[in-house]
Amino acid sequence: MAITWRAVALTAAGIVAVVLFPATGTVLLWAVLVVVVVALDAVLAASPRQVAVSREVPSSIRMSQTARSTLTLTNLGRRRLRALVRDAWPPSSGADENRHQVLVPRGEGRRVSTVLAPTRRGDAHADRVTIRTVGPLGVAGRQASLTVPGRLRVLPEFASRKHLPSRLARLRELDGRAAVQVRGPGTEFDSLREYVIGDDVRSIDWRATARRADVVVRTWRPERDRRVLIVLDTSRTSAVRVQDAPRIDASIEAALLLAALATRAGDRVELIVYDRTVRGRVAGQSGPRVMPAFADVLSLAEPQLIEADWPGVVAQVRQRLSQRALVVLLSALDPAAVEHGLLGVVNQLTERHQVVLASVADPEVDDLRTGRQDAAAMFDAAAAERVGLERAAVAARLRQRGVEVLDALPDDLAPQLADRYLALKAAGRL
Amino acid sequence: MSVYAGPAEAVVGDGTTGRSRAASRWRRWRLPLGILGLLCLVALLAALPQPVTSTVPLAPDNPLPAGARAAAQILGEQGVDVHYVRRITDVERLAGPGTTVLLVGDQLIDTEHTDVLRETGADLVLVNASWAVSELTESLGYGNGSGGVETRTAECDDPDAVAAGTITASGSVLAFGSDAVVCFPAPGTSSSTGGAYAVTNVDDQRVAVLADTEPLTNERLADEGNAALVLRTLGRHEVLVWYIPSADDQDPLESGGPGITDVVPPLVSLIGLQLLLVAAAAALWRGRRLGRIVTEQMPVVVRAGETTRGRGRLYRRSGSFGHAAAALRAGATARSCARLGLPRSAPPQVVIDALARASGRSPGQIEALLYGPPPTDDHGLAQLARDLDHLESEVHRS
Repeated sequence: MAITWRAVALTAAGIVAVVLFPATGTVLLWAVLVVVVVALDAVLAASPRQVAVSREVPSSIRMSQTARSTLTLTNLGRRRLRALVRDAWPPSSGADENRHQVLVPRGEGRRVSTVLAPTRRGDAHADRVTIRTVGPLGVAGRQASLTVPGRLRVLPEFASRKHLPSRLARLRELDGRAAVQVRGPGTEFDSLREYVIGDDVRSIDWRATARRADVVVRTWRPERDRRVLIVLDTSRTSAVRVQDAPRIDASIEAALLLAALATRAGDRVELIVYDRTVRGRVAGQSGPRVMPAFADVLSLAEPQLIEADWPGVVAQVRQRLSQRALVVLLSALDPAAVEHGLLGVVNQLTERHQVVLASVADPEVDDLRTGRQDAAAMFDAAAAERVGLERAAVAARLRQRGVEVLDALPDDLAPQLADRYLALKAAGRL
Repeated sequence: MSVYAGPAEAVVGDGTTGRSRAASRWRRWRLPLGILGLLCLVALLAALPQPVTSTVPLAPDNPLPAGARAAAQILGEQGVDVHYVRRITDVERLAGPGTTVLLVGDQLIDTEHTDVLRETGADLVLVNASWAVSELTESLGYGNGSGGVETRTAECDDPDAVAAGTITASGSVLAFGSDAVVCFPAPGTSSSTGGAYAVTNVDDQRVAVLADTEPLTNERLADEGNAALVLRTLGRHEVLVWYIPSADDQDPLESGGPGITDVVPPLVSLIGLQLLLVAAAAALWRGRRLGRIVTEQMPVVVRAGETTRGRGRLYRRSGSFGHAAAALRAGATARSCARLGLPRSAPPQVVIDALARASGRSPGQIEALLYGPPPTDDHGLAQLARDLDHLESEVHRS
């Protein structure tokens, strides 16, 4: 049961009646009249429960994209359906225009679609569909809220994919290069080809040259089929807001770019989302199936306000990896957290694997460090200085244990991690 | 628009029927409705007519020993119309020639009230009202009351007093004129020194005065001849106005002015009523929500700089100039060393020499700046920070 503005207008029209016949009875009579008209209109309105509603919504979209949630309304009742339909979604789904006026003749169907522009990662579950029918007079109607299931998975934006073409170009440069540019244990023999002017004479394969009439040089390519394990830490340090986004968002961008790059480079990429338990995992995927799996798992990664269990991480890594691999820890270079957690167990990782710790730095600390406005700013600057020194100290201790430490601003983390990966690959340290 | 058959997975209805909706509505509303009903019941009980008994002394509906219900009930049974009033306006309305007005107590009235009593032309019975007696008649007045309650005999020729014979009373009313009759003097005295009961006539208005309330009370009415005196005095006419002044008794001259409802034309209040209905309808219109509010769990987000700021505040509150200066110096040194290619673990003398060469300052200056005594106040800290900034910029320029 619901009334419209017309019911209010009808009540207001009673003022004219009161002016013409000034008596208390007029007011009462008019009130009774309004109630009767409203009740009659509500009874004559089509039933909102005699409508078949189905929803179509894409299963997943990227965060910056928009999707459409389309409702199909079929009138099963005997009356013409005049209704206002609301397709309710959580606020972060960005369903601003979610009210639709529909007119469905008996036995027919109509479609209404709501544009969704989500602003948060993760699963958005549709709330109820509310149908408010209006009677023939448009004064009152009936309302019902139906549960029509719908789920939209909002994948991470992957804004860092703009860095992918340049990194892929670098990867191709590594590929098929003559030994002069890339030399060392990290590259493996690829093929033989004819010498062209400019090739390093040291790469001439004399034995092959002897078998043939031409001078032949060896070419090399970067190692392939290496394993990369990305560990995304969702403990309390990932909840910290840096600039306008939580730290975990920058980590996710970095993970996606690295996964895309490593997959193209022919490496096998795995992912563990971990704080004290495994929150998500991608393993055993290859080729084009890697990125969707990554996006799917990372879309649901949310920071938890608990301390990370680093021995648990080590156990997970050991369980997953039997051979040497690149282990990328997307965590925070938080002195206290690292000293009590990672520093104690990182040796067990570095003795078998190449470990990279990628951390999101906070530009606010830099701003504080250079602040000189007043006495309070001086003390803040001193505190920021101390924090910076502690971070540097803990980074140095990690480096001593063989960990590559990367501390970059949110926007720079993904490309820097990709560069570090390419550098390690070029140096053959994977 | 095209026509769609309902797809297989379509949802029809919300799984409720009219009966189940009514049942759930009843379940949801029964507690509020119950509470509302209870409140209404309480309000109804509170709004019921006042209980037929009161505790006002000498009130005709007071059954307590100090009340006067017995006298009022006997008068009622004898055909006297007893009107119990608390306001002078009611007295004005009810009383007139051929009626009796009983005034009990005069602490809450003034001359305007006595004027009204006089103008009604009714017979007056004044009980316990010395000031009113002196206002209403010049031939009677209160004397110095004699002791306690005692049995007195009439000793006069007023028929009511003679009929009563003896009463139990105290107090004394004096007669100043010859037209007044004083009865029931204290034992051993004569009527000229005052009695408990007096009667006089003022311009055809019979004024009876009872010095004491005792004969009227439920407790004493049956004693001696109290009942006879009281019933005869009060039952002279068919109508008895039993007036006990109250604190909110309005001044008779000031009441009756036009109220706000008399000034405003009735149409305005009717339109106001209608507008109230319009407002109620608008509230219903806007208040009905199109489906419930959708809630969402907000993500956990903590600001990164908070810990650093907190630390700075901690330094400041504890006045740790030494710690703050050490941090600033260490930071500047670390950056300068990185710039000059010195290792982090370089000894102080090496650092001082390198910085002196790079900045062109004397080693003593550098040493004082980097390893000197810590500042002791805000100003010193600010000076140190500025000096370190200068040194750093010089090193970076080199």
